[in-house]
Amino acid sequence: MMRSKTSSVADYMDKEQTPKITRRTTRSLASATTLDNPVTEVTNFGPPSAANHPMVEGDPEVDKEGTPQIPRRTTRSFASAFNSDNIATKVTSIDPPTINDLLVGGDPISLDDLISAFPGRRSQIVELMRLLGPLNSPTLPLFVYGGPSTGKTSIILQLFRHLNRPLVYSSCSTCYNQRILFESILNSLFLHRKSAANGYSNAKRCDRPSDFVNFLRDALANVINNLKSNSEKLTSNKMAARGTGNMIYLVFDNFHLVREWDKSSTIVPFLFNLYDLLNMPEVGLIFISSTSPDTYYANMGYVEPVPVFFPDYTEVDLHQIFLRNQANQKLYSSFLDVVLRPFCRVTRQVDELFTAFKSLFEKYCEPLSDHSVAPSEDMKRRLFSHLKPHIGSYLNEIFKISSLPSLEVEIHKETKRKGNPKKLERSEEIEELEFHMSTCAKYLLISAFLASRNPVTLDDSLFDPTGGLNNRKRKRKTSAKAQEQKQSAEEELVTKGPGTFPLERLLAIFQCIVSVAEDPSDEEEQRNGGLGIEGGKGGLMSDVLLQLSSLCNANFIIKGGSCPIEGSTRYRSAISEGLALKVARSLKFPLSKYLYRR
Amino acid sequence: MGRESHKMKALSLLRSRICDPKFVFKPLHDSPDSNYSKLKFMISSSITEACNNSILLLGPRGSGKSAVLELVVGDLLVEYPDMISVIKLSGLLHSDDNCALKEVARQLCMEHQLQFSKAASFDDNSQFMVAMLKECGLAHKTIVFILDEFDQFAQGKQRLLYSLLDAMQSITSQAVVIGISCRLDADQLLEKRVRSRFSHRKLLFLPPSTEDSKRILEQVLSLPVDSSFPHDYAVEFNRKVQDILEDRRFKETFNKYLNLDSSIKHLLRFLFCAVSCMDLQTGFLTYENFETAFSSILRQPKLECLKNCSILELYILVCMKRLEVKEQTLCNFNSIMKEYKNVHDSFQTSDYYARNVCLRAFEHLINRELICFTDSRGYGSSVEFRPVKLLISSAELHQGLKAYHSCPAILHKLMDREG
Repeated sequence: MMRSKTSSVADYMDKEQTPKITRRTTRSLASATTLDNPVTEVTNFGPPSAANHPMVEGDPEVDKEGTPQIPRRTTRSFASAFNSDNIATKVTSIDPPTINDLLVGGDPISLDDLISAFPGRRSQIVELMRLLGPLNSPTLPLFVYGGPSTGKTSIILQLFRHLNRPLVYSSCSTCYNQRILFESILNSLFLHRKSAANGYSNAKRCDRPSDFVNFLRDALANVINNLKSNSEKLTSNKMAARGTGNMIYLVFDNFHLVREWDKSSTIVPFLFNLYDLLNMPEVGLIFISSTSPDTYYANMGYVEPVPVFFPDYTEVDLHQIFLRNQANQKLYSSFLDVVLRPFCRVTRQVDELFTAFKSLFEKYCEPLSDHSVAPSEDMKRRLFSHLKPHIGSYLNEIFKISSLPSLEVEIHKETKRKGNPKKLERSEEIEELEFHMSTCAKYLLISAFLASRNPVTLDDSLFDPTGGLNNRKRKRKTSAKAQEQKQSAEEELVTKGPGTFPLERLLAIFQCIVSVAEDPSDEEEQRNGGLGIEGGKGGLMSDVLLQLSSLCNANFIIKGGSCPIEGSTRYRSAISEGLALKVARSLKFPLSKYLYRR
Repeated sequence: MGRESHKMKALSLLRSRICDPKFVFKPLHDSPDSNYSKLKFMISSSITEACNNSILLLGPRGSGKSAVLELVVGDLLVEYPDMISVIKLSGLLHSDDNCALKEVARQLCMEHQLQFSKAASFDDNSQFMVAMLKECGLAHKTIVFILDEFDQFAQGKQRLLYSLLDAMQSITSQAVVIGISCRLDADQLLEKRVRSRFSHRKLLFLPPSTEDSKRILEQVLSLPVDSSFPHDYAVEFNRKVQDILEDRRFKETFNKYLNLDSSIKHLLRFLFCAVSCMDLQTGFLTYENFETAFSSILRQPKLECLKNCSILELYILVCMKRLEVKEQTLCNFNSIMKEYKNVHDSFQTSDYYARNVCLRAFEHLINRELICFTDSRGYGSSVEFRPVKLLISSAELHQGLKAYHSCPAILHKLMDREG
C-alpha cells in the first residue's frame, strides 16, 4: 500500500539514483526504537493525547517489507518522558499532608499590612482579633454576617494568615449537603488527601450527625495532641508566642445556604449547638453568613453565637477600594468623583460596580491621547462634559455584563463590512438574537407566547385553519365600557402574568403558523443553501415534542400543574415580549398581527 | 515582655473562665437546698441502695442543667470509683431509635473494653443492652443514662424510652435515667405506658436573681490574689472591677441586658464580649468595655439592613408600602413597577431607572430578606409575576429612612402621605 507522498519522493529520487523507498521515520520513533522495548511498549501505554497528536512531519510510513504497518504516532515529549524509570513514582513523590497544611500559608503579614489591604474594614478586623483573643485562649462561637462582597471570607482567611493559627475551612456552597460537609471536614482533620493510592475515597464515611460527632472528637483529639507536642518543642517563651498554638478553628462559610438543605430543621440547630456538644475548649467555631442571625428559624433553640457585623462600604471606602492597583491614580480619582455618586444610588456592591466602571472608564478616557498624564482642572471639566450624556445610558445597563467578543469575531466583522453590504444587514439582524435556536424551536416558542398572551376565544378569528391571517377586520368598540374592560384585562395581565394553555392548543397554533410561514421560507432556503425546515410538515412535527421538552428544560416554557377538570398538563410561556419580538424578527414572522392588543 | 505577659495572662484566664461552665456554676450551688445537692443526694442514694431511679431536669436554655449534672457526675465518679458507668445520649443526634441503641451499645463496649460491631441490628443491640444491665446489676454497678434534649426522644414511637424504662423495672438491674430538657412540659409528651414507668421527679432550674447574677460577675472577674499575678496588679484590677459594678450607669445597662434574658449563658456571652474588649495597654477593665459589648451584642438587624440598601432599593420598598396602604391584594414586581412609574410621573423624581436595573435591585432585596415571596417554591411563574410581601413593618421602614444618611426627601413625603 503506497501512499502518494512516498511515491512522489520515489519519483524524485528516480532522477538521481535507483528508486529506493526509504523508510521515513520520525525522530521520536527512532529514539523509541533504540530503547529496549520498541514500538509495542509505546502502543501499550498510549494515552489518547499522545496518540492523537498530529506529527509535524510525515505520514505513517511503509515498512520495507511492504506489509502495511501503521505504528502509533507519538510526540517527542512523551518519548522522552518514557525514558524515565517509572511514571508511577512521580505520583507518589507528593508528600502526605502534615499539620502545617492546616495553616493558611503564604508569607507572614503584619497587622498594618492587613488593615491597609482592606480599606474601610479597620474596626471589623480589630473586633475580630479581640474576639479571637491571644494565643491558646478559648473562644465562644462567632457569627460573621454582612451583605455579599463585603470581604468577610477574605478577611477571615487573611486574619488567620496573620495570626498563624491552624484552621479548617469548609464552604457550604461547595459542600452542598450534610454528608459532603462532614466528610470534607473529617478529611482535613485526619490529614487525608484523596489520591490514586486510596482510590479517591474520603477518610471516613459519615452520613449522620451522631457519627460525625464521634469521628470529630477523635480527629480533634489527634490534631490537638499534635499541636501540643509541636508547641512543647518550642521551649522558650518567646518562641511559643510565635508558634501556632494549641487551638484549632473550624470555619463554615456561606452558612446561609444551609437553611435550604434537605434536613435543614435538624442541621441548623445541630451546627449551632456543636460547640456545646463537643465540650472541648481547644476548638473555636466561626460561621460566615450573608444574612443576619435572626433569619435562622429553627424549632429547637440554641445559644446564639457572638455576632460580628460587616456593613456595606460607604462611598469613601469605595473610592479607596477602586483606586487600588490603578495605573494612573489621579485620572482614576477624577473619574470616580464623577461617576461614584450617581452609581451608588443604584447599588453599592463592589463586584457590580467594578464591571460597570471598567467599560465606562474607557469611555471617559476617549478624548485623552496620553493615559498616563495627571489631569488638570480644565481637562477634568472637559472629560466630565464628554462623559455626562453617557452616564444615563450606562446607568440603565449597570447590571449587564456584555460578553467580550473574541478576536476572530472582530476580524470576521471587519471582513464582512468590507464585503457585501446587503449581507451585512442580515447578519446584524441575526445578531440581535444572542443565541442560536433551531427553526422548529423558534416557531414553537412564538406559538407558546401567543397562546399565553391571547385569550382562547380569539384563536378562531386570528388563525385560519388553511393558513394565513384571517383578514376579517375586528370592529373596535370605543364605548366607555369597552375602555374599562380593556383596562381590567390589562391589569389582569400585569398581575396574574401569562396564562396557561394545554398542549393541544399549542400544537394547533403551531401548525397554523408553520403552514403560513412555509411558503415564503422556501425561497429563502434556496438562497441560503438549504438551512431550515426539512421534509415539509411531516418532518417538523416529529421533532416538536422533543423540542418542547428541551424548551421546558431551558425554562422558556414552564410546565404547570394539571387542570382539575380536564386532567391534562398545562404549560405557560415564560419569555418577555422583547425576546418574542427578536425571535419573530429572526424568522421574519409578523408577530404583532397576531398579538391581542389591549 | 514580662510586663505584657501578665496582662495577657489575666485576659486568657478570664476568657477561659467564661468559656468553662463548670467554673461558673460551682459556687452557685453549694448551698444545701440547691439543685446540685438534691441531684447528688438522689443519685448517690440510688447507688448505695442499689435501686432504680429516674428524674427530669427542666429549665430554660442556658440555665446550667448540663453543667450542674456534670459537676455531680464528676464528684460521684471520685467518690464511688468503679461503681458507676455513664452513658450519654443527645436528642439532637440520636433521636432515631436505631441510632440511639447503636450509640448505647458503642459506649457500653468502650467502657467495658468489648468489641463493638457496627453491623449489629436493632434487636441485637437491645438484647445486648438488657444483658449488660443484668450483668451490671449482679456486679452492683450502676449505669447512669443521661438523655440530653429529652423532648426529641419523645417524638415518634418512644421505643428507646420504653425499652430503657422497662428494663429498669426488673429487680436485677441498677440504672438511673436522667433526662434534660428545655421544655417545661417534657413529661406530658410521654406516652401512657412510658409515663407510668417514669417516676415523676422533676428538678426545676430557674434563672438566677439579679443579686446572684452580680455575684457571678464578681466571681468571674476577680483575679486571684496569689503568686500567679503580681500582687499590686491583681489588687488594683479587683478594685477597678468593684468600682464598675457599683457604678450607676453600669447597673442600668446590666439590668437592661438582663431584662431580655437572664439566663447564665446569656450573661456569659455579654461578659465574653466585654472582657475581649479589654485594653491590653492599661490591663484593666473599664465601663466603656461593657458598653461596647452591650451595643455589639444587641443589634437591630433589619435597621442595619436598611442602612445597607441603595436608594433604588428604598424606592422599591416605599412603593410596596404604598401598594399595601392602598390595599391592593396582589403585589408583584409588575405592579411595583407601575407604582414606581406613577411616582415618577407625579413627582418628577430624578431616580428613574430601566426595568432590568429595577429587577436586579428587587432581587437584591430578596437576598437581604427584606421582602419574600408568598408562594412557597413557586416554580410555576417567573420572578416578575410571583407575589411578594414586605418583611419589615412600616415603623421600621420609617425609622430606617430617618436614619439613612442621604435619603431623598421625596421618600419621606411618600411615606408620610399615606400614613
